[in-house]
Amino acid sequence: MKDLVCPLAVLPTAGGDKEGGGSESDYVSMAALDLRAELDSLLLQLLGDLEELEGKRAVLNARVEEGWLSLAKARYAMGTKSVGPLQYASHMEPQVCLQASEAQEGLRKFKVVRSGVHAPEEVGPREAALRRRKGPTKTPELQSSEAPRDPLNWFGILVPHSLRQAQASFWDGLQLAADIASLQNRIDWGRSQLRGLQEKLKQLEPGAA
Amino acid sequence: MAGRGKLIAVIGDEDTVTGFLLGGIGELNKNRHPNFLVVEKDTTINEIEDTFRSLGSVPGSVAEANPSQHDPPLWDEIDSWQFLNRDDIGIILINQYIAEMVRHALDAHQHSIPAVLEIPSKEHPYDAAKDSILRRARGMFTAEDLR
Repeated sequence: MKDLVCPLAVLPTAGGDKEGGGSESDYVSMAALDLRAELDSLLLQLLGDLEELEGKRAVLNARVEEGWLSLAKARYAMGTKSVGPLQYASHMEPQVCLQASEAQEGLRKFKVVRSGVHAPEEVGPREAALRRRKGPTKTPELQSSEAPRDPLNWFGILVPHSLRQAQASFWDGLQLAADIASLQNRIDWGRSQLRGLQEKLKQLEPGAA
Repeated sequence: MAGRGKLIAVIGDEDTVTGFLLGGIGELNKNRHPNFLVVEKDTTINEIEDTFRSLGSVPGSVAEANPSQHDPPLWDEIDSWQFLNRDDIGIILINQYIAEMVRHALDAHQHSIPAVLEIPSKEHPYDAAKDSILRRARGMFTAEDLR
């Protein structure tokens, strides 16, 4: 099918070759058909992406609103000035990072990755042996690794449940933000592809376009 | 830094920034370069724009993040506060009402990274008609294109 996508060089000219004129116009019309099919497919994909974007936006907005409500409840419990910029740490390390991958040229996908997440600690004897009755043995290697400090600790040792709920809501929001960013990027990419195909089609069919 | 991935930056009101920092995106390193800006009533449009895009001294934003730090920044360091110019930022979250203040800067941003996401705020719900990305998408189709 590739040879049917004709380059501009084979477009019929005004004083063109009469013998090959018919086959050239066939090539042009076949190429235009292919382009139209590709345009339709791209358009459908774009519309699907836009619909998905709208859905994810609604969920993101809902999560963020839940987070604000939980923050307000936490403020009510802890005090108005107890949850705000005054409690931010002087040194912060991100617990959440973004992995960006490029599937095609100009098309990026984002994924949220949580750093400093450790596998659940294994409790119990590591070897098939009788448990020692002198008490739990310490595992110094595991405890010495430094994970980024949980931002909840900025607000105290015992924080209300509403603050944890707020953290969960905003964490969900971050996942959705990465998905939305990927979708936005795909829509922008699709838009540029669409423009390119429309230009090609106009050149093949100047009258019809 | 290459191994750990890119950061998510946030420009928003107090609740929005606090919430996303709770989610774990905050970075404030030894050089006092935050990846967030708390916009308050006295934050100027210039400060927002500077943080978002261009050169400029942004002591206000540092003060918001770290009230105990008041040293003026070196000019060489300022560039790295501009979120668009930082290569370690993948997404910028910005409240839509703040995005409206710097709409020209957002519209001028055509690169895929960092991606800019407009989010609602408590007083200003999200309006799809104002979103830069959706406005561009709406301009995709004209009557002639669909013939």
